[in-house]
Amino acid sequence: MVKIKYLLAGVLFVIIGIVLAATVFPSEEKRVKKRFHLLSEWVSKSPEENPFTMLQKMKDIGTLFFEPCELKAPNESLSGSYTRQEISAYAGSVRSHFSQLGLKFYDLHIAFPQKEVAKVTLTARLIGKSKTGEQADEIRELECLLKKIDKKWFLSQIEVIEVLKK
Amino acid sequence: MFLIRVFLVSLFAYLFFGYLCIPFTIQGISMEPTYPNGGVNFCWRLRYFFSEPKRHDVVAVRFAGSQVMLLKRVVAREGEQVEFRAGRLYVDGKEIEEPYVRFPCNWNLPSRRVEKDCVYVVGDNRSMPIDSHHFGQTSKIRIKGVPLW
Repeated sequence: MVKIKYLLAGVLFVIIGIVLAATVFPSEEKRVKKRFHLLSEWVSKSPEENPFTMLQKMKDIGTLFFEPCELKAPNESLSGSYTRQEISAYAGSVRSHFSQLGLKFYDLHIAFPQKEVAKVTLTARLIGKSKTGEQADEIRELECLLKKIDKKWFLSQIEVIEVLKK
Repeated sequence: MFLIRVFLVSLFAYLFFGYLCIPFTIQGISMEPTYPNGGVNFCWRLRYFFSEPKRHDVVAVRFAGSQVMLLKRVVAREGEQVEFRAGRLYVDGKEIEEPYVRFPCNWNLPSRRVEKDCVYVVGDNRSMPIDSHHFGQTSKIRIKGVPLW
């Protein structure tokens, strides 16, 4: 009986240890996912958002990107290389058109093709309601490259994958 | 014994509904009136295990995974020429009857050939301007399955 007690306590300690280690020292995959979670949080907008939050989020969005960040979008005029400031300004201008905005990421597949480089394939869905009441619902498959600098991951390239070609 | 049974049923349900018959809700009006917005259905993965998608089949097209998919109808297969003239679909120059298209459509799209290993998919609801509708050719690899009903 005593042995079983010790065994259970041991198993419990191991489980707690694993959970603690995973929380305190997250894997690189988790760190990458966290960046997308932040991007989603900062791009999203609620109808009650005040101007100070809006400005802060605009600034924060830029911090997630490598300088410069390259965007490749077939058949769209957005392709090019952008600085953090340009990204923040563009995000701010898009957000200002909407009273409500939600950005969600699905099916994240993360690979590490080189040291300090992560390649993420995902589905991005942007749902919004413009200030004039129009609904927006855009879905794109994206292939993103992230670079690791000072233990932080930064988006360095975003490519829009063409799923349906007219 | 009971726990083993519960485990086996859970495992079967996980594999069946997670990989073979994936439940989904329809969000959007692109397949109306055949598949109305808000409807619930299942994506049957084994439909094209031994066969190829045919014209008029409704298929689920995946993006990066199966959490978000597009529900569309196959209108042309590889090698065929597809075009729209005054809202009518033409494949290889012949007009195709589409009883499932119930709303008025005035689309015009120049002729284009469907590439190798691709199919051309369009929604049933073409009442919106052509630029607002997601359609076009997609690789057959992206076809995840068909709706069960």
